[in-house]
Amino acid sequence: MVEPLLAIEGLSIDYEVGSGTFHALTDVSLTLVPGRVVGIVGETGSGKSTLGHAIPRLLREPPARIRSGRIVFRGTDILQLPRWKLPLLRGTGIGMIFQEPINSLNPAYRIFDQVAEAVIVRKARESRALPNPIRAVEPHDYSQGKPVKTGSALLHPAIPSFLGGGSRIRREALRSEVLDYLKLVRINDPETILELYPHELSGGMRQRIMIAMALSAKPSLLIADEPTSALDITIQAQVLTLMKELMDEVRTSILFISHDLGVIAEMADEVGVLYAGHLVEFGPVEEVYAAPRHPYTKLLLRSVPNRYKTDGPLPALSGSVPSLAQIPPGCPFHPRCPLVRDVCEKDPGPVLQRAQGAASPTHHAACYFSEEVDTIA
Amino acid sequence: MDEAAVGTRRTSGDEARTIQSPSEPSLWREFLRGFLRVLRANPLTFIGFILVLIISVVALLVVLVPLVSSVILGHTVLVTPYDPNALSTDYGQPPSASHLLGTDNLGQDVFSRIVAALPLDLAIGFGITGFALLVGGGLGLVAGYWDEPRTLGGAVSVIILRITDVFLAFPSLVLALAIAASLGRGTGPSMLAILLTWWPYYVRLARGEVLAVKHQPYVMAARAGGVSEVRILFRHVLRNLAEPLLVYYTLDVGTVIVTFSTISFIGIGVPLGVPEWGSMVESYERFLLTLPWTVLSAGAAIFVTVLAFSLFGDGLRDILDPRSRRALVQAAVPSTLAAKVAAAAEA
Amino acid sequence: MTRNNSDLIIFIGKRLLQLVPVILGVVVITFFFTHVAVQNPCAIWAGPHATQDQIAACRLKFGLDSPLTDQFWAYLSSLVTGDWGTNPTTEIPVLSTISTAFPATLELVLASLAIMTVLGIPLGVIAANGAGRWADHFVRTFYLSGWATPTYLGAVILAIGVGPVLGLPTKGDFSSTPTFPRPTHMSVVDALLNLNLPAAGDAVLHLILPASALAFLNLGIATRMTRTSMLEVLPLDFVKTARMKGLSEFRVLYKHALRNALITTITILGLTAGVLLSGTVVIENIFQWPGMGEYAFGAITGYNFKGTIGVVIIFAIVVVISNLIADVLYGLLDPRVEWR
Repeated sequence: MVEPLLAIEGLSIDYEVGSGTFHALTDVSLTLVPGRVVGIVGETGSGKSTLGHAIPRLLREPPARIRSGRIVFRGTDILQLPRWKLPLLRGTGIGMIFQEPINSLNPAYRIFDQVAEAVIVRKARESRALPNPIRAVEPHDYSQGKPVKTGSALLHPAIPSFLGGGSRIRREALRSEVLDYLKLVRINDPETILELYPHELSGGMRQRIMIAMALSAKPSLLIADEPTSALDITIQAQVLTLMKELMDEVRTSILFISHDLGVIAEMADEVGVLYAGHLVEFGPVEEVYAAPRHPYTKLLLRSVPNRYKTDGPLPALSGSVPSLAQIPPGCPFHPRCPLVRDVCEKDPGPVLQRAQGAASPTHHAACYFSEEVDTIA
Repeated sequence: MDEAAVGTRRTSGDEARTIQSPSEPSLWREFLRGFLRVLRANPLTFIGFILVLIISVVALLVVLVPLVSSVILGHTVLVTPYDPNALSTDYGQPPSASHLLGTDNLGQDVFSRIVAALPLDLAIGFGITGFALLVGGGLGLVAGYWDEPRTLGGAVSVIILRITDVFLAFPSLVLALAIAASLGRGTGPSMLAILLTWWPYYVRLARGEVLAVKHQPYVMAARAGGVSEVRILFRHVLRNLAEPLLVYYTLDVGTVIVTFSTISFIGIGVPLGVPEWGSMVESYERFLLTLPWTVLSAGAAIFVTVLAFSLFGDGLRDILDPRSRRALVQAAVPSTLAAKVAAAAEA
Repeated sequence: MTRNNSDLIIFIGKRLLQLVPVILGVVVITFFFTHVAVQNPCAIWAGPHATQDQIAACRLKFGLDSPLTDQFWAYLSSLVTGDWGTNPTTEIPVLSTISTAFPATLELVLASLAIMTVLGIPLGVIAANGAGRWADHFVRTFYLSGWATPTYLGAVILAIGVGPVLGLPTKGDFSSTPTFPRPTHMSVVDALLNLNLPAAGDAVLHLILPASALAFLNLGIATRMTRTSMLEVLPLDFVKTARMKGLSEFRVLYKHALRNALITTITILGLTAGVLLSGTVVIENIFQWPGMGEYAFGAITGYNFKGTIGVVIIFAIVVVISNLIADVLYGLLDPRVEWR
């Protein structure tokens, strides 16, 4: 058993706002093994973005409040870290790509300055220029993966800045490294792009820059929070293809958050399904899709338009997602569940455990009757 | 360019607003609910609101009680404990039970003088700001709504804006002083002076807001649906204009009071002997170290009044966030640059 | 889509051209107000004990008997040729007084602008970053107090109350009239140019109180605007992106968020030029600072029409130019703005 890169244990997060308390996440546990891609899927308001933001501690507290749980990243509980240490974790430890490429680049700086900033932070940490005892998370070693197709920056260890000589040489080295990352994300004519401002680029291009920027810090975990949802469908396909190719090249671990089941199927090795802040199913992506062990997953999969299906209307889930302020007791899905019995309404609800009748030992579901899911029409 | 501008200038709440203009009755209810919420959530706004209420009621009493009593009782009853202009031999007394804020070098009761000055200062604050709001807001509405180049309206709006530019270039206090000094000492000339320098800000504010509203999808939808221009003007444009103007008005009442008291401080605002906070500070200024309660109470009166209106206005702005804020910036910017970024955001 | 520097020059040129009608309007308004409202200024100019003949001679000398429009054209043509008239009582040319008084005011305004920027902007960042918490309430109370204090009251308290207690000078720009040449008429700059360090120190001490009075009262403008625009910028994704690069909180706030929030703050600061200049009228009078404000005060109360118009022209130019500077800075800070 490989030691997990990231282990979330019993994480519960509330938002406390004027009108009440919202339980954004309730008792979520999952692990991420190095080199794997874990997808998180759920409807709007299911807590998936909260999960993505909670890992690098990006949530504003208050209104967010971490009620309980641990987020163990490379052996350290992130939730125990003092606030001033958090920057040392980000960048080289955990990188992130956001949903809106419009907003995620700083409009006031040129592309070069923004990417270079990430490279400089990483180089400082590689050369351990930071004064001890402030130990930053070291960058991930990408050279273990397959040879990289484009650019050489990933293979060559960075030149420590104190050996870099004059500032002009250093700037040249920085520039060529930034260029390498732009080439890595398949940007044509990177020389020109470097000198542009974000508003002069298209959404897809900006998202590529974001990916390049996140990767240039060589994070050991990359969180992609709906990276393609805001893009046009054709651009979305291009970016997804790019990410898939990059995954093979850089072998970094990715937490891929999306509401799109198809995207998750394409990208992830494992998938976790969130419903009303509860992780209701987790397992290898093929198996979860082929034989879901939670009624919600089953119904969710069924409501995806199938291009071969022409008869009758598209089946939709009846009822609606419960408000996070009033999550039903017991299993949160019971009011909409076709398999519901009395036991489902009793607290505490079903816990995530190895699903009955599942082929893979890592396939977990939070349902008392998971072997009956197949019977749902 | 457009995408970027949209991204940074707009919040998702704005996006929702553009779909449809909220209907009339629910707006007031919405406003009232927001108002109560802000009062509850923000103690500073609550304090400001209560202070504004107290100040206004006291000012009304000071004016009404003597009037009513002279009609009904035949003799005048004052709200203030002493006649504000009555001299006495009790001069230079520190604050005590009989003289709440002490007496000045002439034996006048400082508290009575401060309360007696309240109606004048408040009336000037409300009055001048109100007049500037009507004149400037009206001109700004015209300049913003009929701004098509090469039409009569376009020509008029260019003229309005040029004149506004001239008045905006005056440092207001300097022009006010020059006018007040030329016209002679007195309340009327100083009021005219402040008014002349005050309206241009409202032209900018109203115009910026109208330009922002004019190209909203719901206005275009109304026009496409055959709604008359007058109806559009009243239903959509004026309504959206009302919110930021209200905020600006509240904040401005305090500023006008300060400006008027500054003119009085310099010695041309009110006739000699009329109690006014600025002229009180001026005449007590040399007693700061010997009779500190005189000058400090007069100063505190202005301070508290202006603070009350600022706190209250700030809170109002929070209710009407975030559109009013953007409009305020836009209105305050003399060039078209900021408007351009905002216009790109609307496109 | 990249911007052209020549566009910037055209932009500045256009704006400077717009200055001409504004100045003309300012001159017209001030001229007619002063000349129409005051019927017989010679009664004042000639002194309280002047005879009818003296007053008549005065009227003749200043051309007050010719029609107002003629007087205006005469004044305007001499204004264009650089003759801004003289003070009718002291006969000192307006322009020469202004040329010594304006730099002194500029020094005062720049000093307080520096205080406003150095103190006000970080306070705004602190307030926005801790929005709704005690730091925010503290900062808001602080700047609202400054806002609610009338200029004259703050200045009086500083001049009479605080100054003597701290041992800071409250009058003028130097303790004794400087004997060295004054090429710029800015007290600190002149003393430094003469390498006279004690005098420079003295000048700085004299600058502290009036500059802080002017700054404290207007601190709210910078702080409030920084706070509001930071509140708008902080939730945006690029701030998160900056955090996720592993940058320290300081760099995130000041390099990434503030850089964008500053765009509006700068605009507002440019607009405060008028407010600050208005403030100098009162503050220079109380602190006896030998600048435009004090000159304006004397000119207005002494019916020195030419002096009044001269001051107003200079103030209007400063207001328009500082607006222009604000616009240019706005464009430089925000790469999305096109020079048009």
